[in-house]
Amino acid sequence: MSLFEWCQWLQHTHFATAIAESDWLFPLIEGSHILALPLSVGMVVIIDLRLLGIAFCGGPGTNFVRNLMRWSSIGFAVMFLTGGLLLITQAGKAYGNAFFRSKLLFLLLLGINAAAYQKLFYPRMAQWDSAGGAPAGAKFCAAFSLVLWIGVIVCGRTMAYEF
Amino acid sequence: MNSDMSLLSVFETLSNWAPVVFIRDSKYGMPGVQSVHLTGLTVLLATVLVLDLRLAGLGMKEYELSWLARQLKPWTLGALTVVISSGLLIFLGTPEKYVASDPFRFKMALLCLAVLFHFNVLRRFTAAGSAARPRTVNVIVACLSLAFWFGVGWAGRAIAFVP
Repeated sequence: MSLFEWCQWLQHTHFATAIAESDWLFPLIEGSHILALPLSVGMVVIIDLRLLGIAFCGGPGTNFVRNLMRWSSIGFAVMFLTGGLLLITQAGKAYGNAFFRSKLLFLLLLGINAAAYQKLFYPRMAQWDSAGGAPAGAKFCAAFSLVLWIGVIVCGRTMAYEF
Repeated sequence: MNSDMSLLSVFETLSNWAPVVFIRDSKYGMPGVQSVHLTGLTVLLATVLVLDLRLAGLGMKEYELSWLARQLKPWTLGALTVVISSGLLIFLGTPEKYVASDPFRFKMALLCLAVLFHFNVLRRFTAAGSAARPRTVNVIVACLSLAFWFGVGWAGRAIAFVP
């Protein structure tokens, strides 16, 4: 069975059609997926703006990141759960969609970017933050994150038009 | 001619305005404006969330509430401008659909309440030098604020699902 066939099979399972055909379940899951944006991506945007020195500067930086990421992790849990359910109901249609594929690629790159920031820059954040600002590499991570998250939103919204 | 009808004719005239026609008729016009609307929503509700979670005492305790409020304000206002202007373009794409939609009317009423609450009640609760209040009161105000703003979002989703 190819991945495409598997996606089509998934979309037609009883579980998937029950969600897709429910009057309230699909709107509830889709609405939650969209309205978890501020809690997940929104918090990351605020952190990025601080790293770039554009806003919210002042006060201890590591606390800022830790506080916002704690809230953000709840948002991302909702995102992956609801996104996974939405995908199951539309797997066959999503498989070949260029916007869906771009969204997945962007998410993968964002994951790598976040891991790189966590490994390379976050451990010494207290030092460089109080010394007056983020090093160029950390700023690059923040700018990359801002641009790609907007890309994820654009692809996510546009793919639904093609279904 | 009653006032409802004249308002509708104004919307109809505006919906034939060249930029609106361009957005409505080009393949990626509407998804593009919708994506801007969602990006604005992400930033707008993220600024509201940070302020409300801090007010409710759920984190960011190292940062003064009034400092946070001051830092977030331009982003709340900027994102509100983006959301309202993109929302207006979406509305003018098919005004007759929105005018007839109950969830849309509810959304607009809730939006007015959310804005009034934000710039009157919440502003007072997060102002510098405001007297210490019992935590219960702060939590209630934070919950009301979140209910208004996220209510606007859910009403927006309902436009697509309620016939």
